[in-house]
Amino acid sequence: MKLLTHASALALVASAGLGLAGKAQAWSLEEAAKPYAGTELEVLFLDRPGYAAAIKMLPEFEAATGIKVNHTTVPYENALGEQVRDFVAGGDLDIALIDLVWIGNFAENGWIEPIETFTANADLADPDLDMADFFPLVVNAFGGWNGTIYGLPFDNYSGLMFYNSCMLKDAGFDKPPETWADLKDVYGPALTKDGKYAFALQSKRNETQSADSFARMLWPFGGSFLNAEFKSNLMSPESQAGLTFRQDLMQYMPEGIVAYDHSETVNALAQGDVAMITEWSAFYSTLASPETSKLGDCLAVAPEPMGPAGRKPALGGFSLAVATQADDAEKAAGWLFIQWVTSKANAGKYLELGGVPARQSAYADPALAATYKFIPALVESWKDGVPEFRPRFAEWPAITEIVQEWGTKMMLGEVSVEEGAKTIGEKMEAVLAEAGYYDGKKPLAQ
Amino acid sequence: MAAPVQRRNLVGEAVLLTVICLFCVFPFYWMVTTSLKTQVVALQSPPVWVFTPTLANYWEVLFVDKVGPALVNSIIVAVCTTGLAVLLGTPAAYALARFEFRGKTDLWFWFITNRFVSPVVLAFPVFLISRELGLRDTHLALILMYLTFTLPIVIWICTDQFRSIPRELDEAALLEGASQFRIFRSICLPLAMPGVAVSAILSFIFSWNELLFAYILAPKNAKTAPAMAVTFMEGYDVPYGKIMATSTLIVVPVLIFALLASKHLVRGLTMGAVK
Amino acid sequence: MTTRVRRRTIAAFLGPAVAALALVGIAPLLYAVWKSLHYFNLTKLAQERYVGLDNYAAVLTDAVFWQAMGRTATLFAIAVPVQIALGLTIALVLHRPGLTFWKTLTRLSLVLPMATTYAVVGLLAQVMLNQKYGVFNQMLGWVGIDAINFIGDPTNAFIAVILWDIWQWTPFVALVLLAGLSTVPPEIEEAATLETRSNWTVLRFVQLPYLVPSLVAVLILRTADTLKLFDMPFTMTRGGPGAATEFIAVLIERVGNRQFDIGMAAAQSIIMLALTIVLARLYIRLFYREVR
Repeated sequence: MKLLTHASALALVASAGLGLAGKAQAWSLEEAAKPYAGTELEVLFLDRPGYAAAIKMLPEFEAATGIKVNHTTVPYENALGEQVRDFVAGGDLDIALIDLVWIGNFAENGWIEPIETFTANADLADPDLDMADFFPLVVNAFGGWNGTIYGLPFDNYSGLMFYNSCMLKDAGFDKPPETWADLKDVYGPALTKDGKYAFALQSKRNETQSADSFARMLWPFGGSFLNAEFKSNLMSPESQAGLTFRQDLMQYMPEGIVAYDHSETVNALAQGDVAMITEWSAFYSTLASPETSKLGDCLAVAPEPMGPAGRKPALGGFSLAVATQADDAEKAAGWLFIQWVTSKANAGKYLELGGVPARQSAYADPALAATYKFIPALVESWKDGVPEFRPRFAEWPAITEIVQEWGTKMMLGEVSVEEGAKTIGEKMEAVLAEAGYYDGKKPLAQ
Repeated sequence: MAAPVQRRNLVGEAVLLTVICLFCVFPFYWMVTTSLKTQVVALQSPPVWVFTPTLANYWEVLFVDKVGPALVNSIIVAVCTTGLAVLLGTPAAYALARFEFRGKTDLWFWFITNRFVSPVVLAFPVFLISRELGLRDTHLALILMYLTFTLPIVIWICTDQFRSIPRELDEAALLEGASQFRIFRSICLPLAMPGVAVSAILSFIFSWNELLFAYILAPKNAKTAPAMAVTFMEGYDVPYGKIMATSTLIVVPVLIFALLASKHLVRGLTMGAVK
Repeated sequence: MTTRVRRRTIAAFLGPAVAALALVGIAPLLYAVWKSLHYFNLTKLAQERYVGLDNYAAVLTDAVFWQAMGRTATLFAIAVPVQIALGLTIALVLHRPGLTFWKTLTRLSLVLPMATTYAVVGLLAQVMLNQKYGVFNQMLGWVGIDAINFIGDPTNAFIAVILWDIWQWTPFVALVLLAGLSTVPPEIEEAATLETRSNWTVLRFVQLPYLVPSLVAVLILRTADTLKLFDMPFTMTRGGPGAATEFIAVLIERVGNRQFDIGMAAAQSIIMLALTIVLARLYIRLFYREVR
């Protein structure tokens, strides 16, 4: 009886708690959006599966809120430039699409609002936002800068190994290579024959060269761009080992690999011309769809191979943040959209439509993991990821240009690995000196 | 004269001409046929020559990918800048052809030199200026910038044209008390119409084809068709059919104009260096 | 005799055009000169500062800049002679009497390549030269040549740009030279053909002198357009692979649009512009008829 009383007292407390929360429970997107009906939002999208998925979800949001989302599709290569010019000119973008390496730049220029502006506002903040549900690595790397969160992870990638299990089986392998060394020394020779190649590493001279090609070979070998003093670490034995490895691996890649961007690489696997690629998780839907891929059941996914320093897979992705140049109504409406499209409630749908959500809860369902073969590898990768896979500071746009130029020259054999790394290091340090990292004007971020 | 003609190998000559024609026309044939292919057909290796054509690419680029509005923007910009160039350029050309004044040669040099200036030199400063003036992403910004190449064309071709009109006509009118402006407007301009038309057509073609200014100054609302075509380049799969459909839509109008002006095109393009 | 007119009349005729061109042509240039003396990066506006001639010093000692210049010069040196040789051949054939219908048709088709939107020309190249799906490689296959990786290999990509430039501009050269040939008085030409059977002799001693203005025009315009060349390589290779097709205008676009270093891009532009103006003035002074 006493116990019962206790229990009912608890229940009372609980219901009181519920009552308190009642106000928050009443939060609904429709209510929150009422003052902003008719607001039009401008945002840049890319021509990638995650955006196609979001576009398919848009009508639902627009019907519920009366907010219109005008998305303009641009190639990735133009996305940074278009946004920088728009923000500098005080243009009409209301939401920023931020690649993880741009966040420092956007944040330091004051182009994006911290999410706290909105999460602190009970009218706008969805009580179900649950920031802890995002993979911590992802939310910090994609949306955070110097301890402040600006953006919510929207189009999320980890590097994964996609491979043609049928080609591997024919060559006598029943599983993908565990390590990069195996990939080169065992799988490489066995799979490179009859006009087919073991591996393709997208290396086109743009962000692909620095993110997908150069950085991918640095980290697993224990290398990195910068050391603790923010000086170049590219001449370290580890970095050199990684870059030399990349050079050696090229014999098992198709000719002209420096002209391969994502589309060429994915297509090479999809058409059965190469056996293995390391690509972003977002390409899963392209590779799985019979319209764009011949792979069918041969498609298999694994985490990226390990190097001497561990797995350290590539990490990339985009967050959405509210632009400071928007007016108040647009900011509020923009936040509602960002919050909605990245929400826990929509994660399943986003996944189903071809997107890759960053919500841990979305991947907990074992049934989903069976349908989407990439999920286990993705979850594992996001545990091992390196947030500073590419340094995320404001100087990255200048540094990536240097890496792109000399990284490609290295691959083409126009300079040796050592010369190239040395040049990149010198030029990179010049950029950092210019920015004031060495004379104490700027803290050594990260 | 008949003898040498007969001696020549007319068959060989005809074959050579056919080769030249094919050389010029084949890429257009390939562009148009690719634009009628589905993605699957377009990505067949080796390429197929016979297939069932589809207009789906056109439908998609015009109505889904907003190439339609971009074409409208291109028309607005090209027509306005051409009109403005003719309006400003013909009086200037008349003055260069008829009046004597100090610094005329230098002025003429300056007009011509603009033909040589690369848009990349002007594009970034103009971007910064347009931002200050609120002209970013407007038709007006492009219309004004396109004057840098349309105005020299009009001035150059029309100066030539005005000079070919006998001066006696002007002088007679002057004796009758007509103002210079009336002479220009009512006597010389009508006679110079062929030159004006050619320079207008060339201005239109040049404006229509321009990429760099459009790419930097007009990211969205005033985006022109060539700038639009560039945005298809790097998706996850390269949509050859759509790229070629867009290309066809862009190229067909200029080709029609070019053929209309074909007789005068060379003179226009060489800015009168060759009659 | 030239009509004497009042200054005000002259000003009224010329004023609007001069003002317009000053506004759109000169004002941005002055602004560019001013910015070229600054460290001015769009992503670091807070750090803008006057740096004097630092940007110029950096450009002039920058190997990448000179390599792009060198590439531009190489393109010119290879493509233009080929265009002139092929163009002259075509012009001579078209100039002969007979086969009128064929020749009209050819003349019309020659108009097409040079009027084509340059950006589209680059896109066309991407589609036609693709190693796997490209029709050009298919045709090479018919004559027993293995597919060539045009876009992916540095040397091949450079060759592809040259080939494509030749495709687009040979017709132009042909038409200009044809126009030049039409200035040869027919009597002289006829007399010469009766004297000798050698076409070469006719060309060398009779036609060539009349062709000089056309050849000069070709040189001038090809120089200007090669320095400006941006659209075609941009849509075809984006300057790649590596920097294989990064011509001077492509380089400047990259520095300004991708590195956002507008100060540096301005300095590069001013140096290129100085070069352009020197060349243009030289050419114009040497060969164009002046206004008298």
